[in-house]
Amino acid sequence: MRKKPFVIDIHTHPAFFEPICENEADVEFRRKMLGLYKNGKAPLKHIYNQMDYAGIDRLVILPEDLTTNHGGTVVSNEEIKKLVEISPDRFIGFASVDPRRKDAEEVLEYAFMDLGLSGLKLHPSKQEFYPADKMLEPLYKLCIKYNKPVLFHAGLSWEPDALSKYSKPENFEEVAYNYPELRICLGHFGWPWVKETAAIMLKYTNVYADTGLLYFDNAREFFGHVFEKELGISWIDRSLRHQVMFGSNNPRFEQIRMLEALQGMEFRESTLELILGGNALRFLGMEGKENG
Amino acid sequence: MVKHEAFTLLTENYNEMINITKRVLEAVKASGIKEGLVAVITKHTTTGITVNECLECLESDIDLALKRLVPEDIPYCHARMLHTYGSTAGNPTGHIKSMLVGNSCMFPIIDGEVSLGGAQDIYFYEFDGPARRTINITVIGEN
Repeated sequence: MRKKPFVIDIHTHPAFFEPICENEADVEFRRKMLGLYKNGKAPLKHIYNQMDYAGIDRLVILPEDLTTNHGGTVVSNEEIKKLVEISPDRFIGFASVDPRRKDAEEVLEYAFMDLGLSGLKLHPSKQEFYPADKMLEPLYKLCIKYNKPVLFHAGLSWEPDALSKYSKPENFEEVAYNYPELRICLGHFGWPWVKETAAIMLKYTNVYADTGLLYFDNAREFFGHVFEKELGISWIDRSLRHQVMFGSNNPRFEQIRMLEALQGMEFRESTLELILGGNALRFLGMEGKENG
Repeated sequence: MVKHEAFTLLTENYNEMINITKRVLEAVKASGIKEGLVAVITKHTTTGITVNECLECLESDIDLALKRLVPEDIPYCHARMLHTYGSTAGNPTGHIKSMLVGNSCMFPIIDGEVSLGGAQDIYFYEFDGPARRTINITVIGEN
């Protein structure tokens, strides 16, 4: 029997995971900041049930530091660390840092060195910066120093107070060009600018993209439209197969149905395995560590 | 006298039938009501409550019948971003199955016992799991 592929969801938001929802005011702040108005608290057993049903081995869980422009964190690096400690065999934790914080470098170095987090999440639209801004240089250099990837929000953001102009895929080219040793991911495939995302991925092999896009229709229909009509039907399978990662953007989008939709697409089986987990392992610098 | 109770389930599958008869009988006993009615009502719009015979063959047949009546792969309109939620709607089949099955059942309580027929069990139906679900049990009557 063929071995089940190792599946990583590279893009999830744990804002409503019960162990970090002790304070109701924090939960309400998260609902408002994320624009997820009806989400209730989720016991971890429910998260595990969803993962097990879908066959997902790991979730990459993302925080969001909005200290300077919104006065708080949606989920803090310490809360991410807490969740990873509860379930190290299910969760991979990323750090977030508001690049405008005076102590941004210290915060990030602490997250990598002391909290043991596995990468950096940045949200240009919500945190209001352009990715190639010089202010980001020290953070990118720290990521290179510690061999950690950066997952950027890219394209339209559904969050309130988050303008798309900061996150257009073309804004990331300069980062890819200036830091070829830095692995970066354009979240949501940079939708709606998916051709621009594909073009940058084609030229720069340090650029990845995730599949966290479900803005119209159901997952099967939308993935079909984006990946088989807006992009050439063979573009991913032939040319970008080592750079696309399964990411759901859960709980905004439907993790299980998105995964099923990907599994139903006309990719080579080996391409699908890369998208579901192989590429994420390389992006995370964890190749060969599926069981670790 | 009216007694309300609620309990929560963490379902494990997309579609799932869970026999909750024992839980309902316990709630009636705990209420102390001897003569009256018990109502079992789900709090959700992609789940159901119904009564049927607890046989695995029937469970399979009911699941199959609902899947044939409500296929997954037709172009439902309930597949779009919802501004009030900030997330995608993607569970039209759950809503339709919920409507077909119904959201509640009711039984008489006679001499302190729920008057179930010999082939009757109470089922909670999950149509959009895995999920966290809450079910209300309301007992109305006299001691």
